[in-house]
Amino acid sequence: MDSVTMDPVKQMEKASQGSPNHAAGKGVIESPEIKRGGFLKNIFTGMISLAKGMKVTFHYFSHPSTVVTQQYPENRDTLKMFDRFRAHLTMAHDEKGQHKCSGCQICQKACPNASISVVNRSNPVTGKKELDRYVWRMDSCTFCNMCVQVCPFGTLKMENQFESSVYDRRLLVYTLNRYAGPTAQVLGKLESDEERTKQMEPRDPYSGPTPMNGQAMAGVAALGEKKGEGESK
Amino acid sequence: MNTWEVTTLAERSAEALSSSFWGAAGYLGLAMLGMAGFVAVLGMVLIYAERKVAGHFQCRLGPMRVGWHGTLQTVADTVKLLLKEDIVPYQADKMLHILAPLLMFIGTILVLLVLPFSPIVQVADVNIGVVYITAVSGFSVLGILLGGWSSNNKWSLIGAMRAGAQIISYEVSATLALLVVVLFSGSLQLSEIVRSQAEGWWIWRAHGVGIVAFLIFFIASTAEINRTPFDMPEGESELTAGFHTEYSGLRFAFFFLAEFINMFLVAALTSTLFLGGWMPFHIGGFENFNALMDLIPAGLWFTGKTAFLVFVLMWFRWSFPRLRVDQLMRLEWKILLPIGLVNLFVAAVVVLYGLYFFPVR
Repeated sequence: MDSVTMDPVKQMEKASQGSPNHAAGKGVIESPEIKRGGFLKNIFTGMISLAKGMKVTFHYFSHPSTVVTQQYPENRDTLKMFDRFRAHLTMAHDEKGQHKCSGCQICQKACPNASISVVNRSNPVTGKKELDRYVWRMDSCTFCNMCVQVCPFGTLKMENQFESSVYDRRLLVYTLNRYAGPTAQVLGKLESDEERTKQMEPRDPYSGPTPMNGQAMAGVAALGEKKGEGESK
Repeated sequence: MNTWEVTTLAERSAEALSSSFWGAAGYLGLAMLGMAGFVAVLGMVLIYAERKVAGHFQCRLGPMRVGWHGTLQTVADTVKLLLKEDIVPYQADKMLHILAPLLMFIGTILVLLVLPFSPIVQVADVNIGVVYITAVSGFSVLGILLGGWSSNNKWSLIGAMRAGAQIISYEVSATLALLVVVLFSGSLQLSEIVRSQAEGWWIWRAHGVGIVAFLIFFIASTAEINRTPFDMPEGESELTAGFHTEYSGLRFAFFFLAEFINMFLVAALTSTLFLGGWMPFHIGGFENFNALMDLIPAGLWFTGKTAFLVFVLMWFRWSFPRLRVDQLMRLEWKILLPIGLVNLFVAAVVVLYGLYFFPVR
């Protein structure tokens, strides 16, 4: 929107001051170039411009489809979140349940607030380095999307599920990978499915190291506790 | 054709007084109760409407939670305001602080008294109605100035001073525009002005001067009631809340209510003066058409016109950015006032030499 139409008064004053270029040389701060017109013409163009603005707002008023507000708890079943909405970091697993994370820790280094820790181990059979746990702390995550952007294998993804409230902050520490073991590419080179499953040691979201000050809770093992003890209620 | 007999509550009460005192007292009580109820309900309805309209102008929904589509939201807010702690600032001028919202409200109520809602719903039909309205609407300036002054707060003071300068400036233009209608209708009485528009409304029957006067009056009135784009006295981005920064609870509610009733008053006055008030849409000479239009009750015409103008005011508010103080003053003194003066002059010439091209009474 040019300033002509926005403000007839200013424009009028401008017109009486003479050429804008004349004053510009003296270090006077100039408003953008304004078309000069007569008194009535300025008023007329000003009113036209106001009418244009009113037309825009009336379009929104008369078209309820432009409303962006979501009636959230009511429309929970039909709510469709937006593609770029970032809520829950997930690791993509293919239909065989295999992921592409090699444990390179680039995401861990990129994370601005240390919400990610990638724990690696040596493969018990081959001795090669592989992913043990991908621990993501949602409670300190700012959802900046850096980890997703730096991942060289495209294995990370921000999901849309935003209903993450829990009564215990420890439940916000997730293990993202579903198994500890080699990547899908390495697993693909093995002969049989049996061998593959042998190399994939299962991990569940809450089996990771959680800051529990030595306490345990249902389904979550305390730090330092052996796996499985906390889960047995 | 319909003769539009006007009877006011004041007249009826005077009539009743000749027979019994209690009849007159009954009418007066009815008038007072009616006005109080009307103001309260209208305030709530307008606030709800404003929030809904604002929401939809901004791609939102507005209140949706309390009641069906948020209809009870204003009731809940009112209850909240009534229950809130009433804080008077330290070292504030306590008496003036309490007095200010009441003064503002008095100005509003006094204007409401002479407003012709329909031929039979009017509290008092003052024969100098237009002058009376111009006079008593000054109360609201006094209220704002006192409120800002007594709050012992720089934002309040600045807001109040801005309001004073603004309202007093725009009063000039509003009055000039109003005089055009007075010239054409030849009366200061509001019911008489309405009845003079039986052949057609002044906005188009007045040779083009009408529409200019209408625009000037509407713009100047918007400025007088401190609504966006002329809401410098409140200016929440510069002055927190302007003159009512230090007000809370019931007293703030009074300011708030007066503001919204003033919006209604401006719409009602503009429709009374320029759009025929309760007068149905008539075209001089087309008797059958006029008779058809008379089928819609007069009160409904008034309500419709006023509601439309209220909507336009809201439309203004949610479309236009706020003016700067100097721009505001220039708009009044360099644009509205000269045009208003020329307009009044032209109107006077038209009326004086009878340059009408429509039948005049």
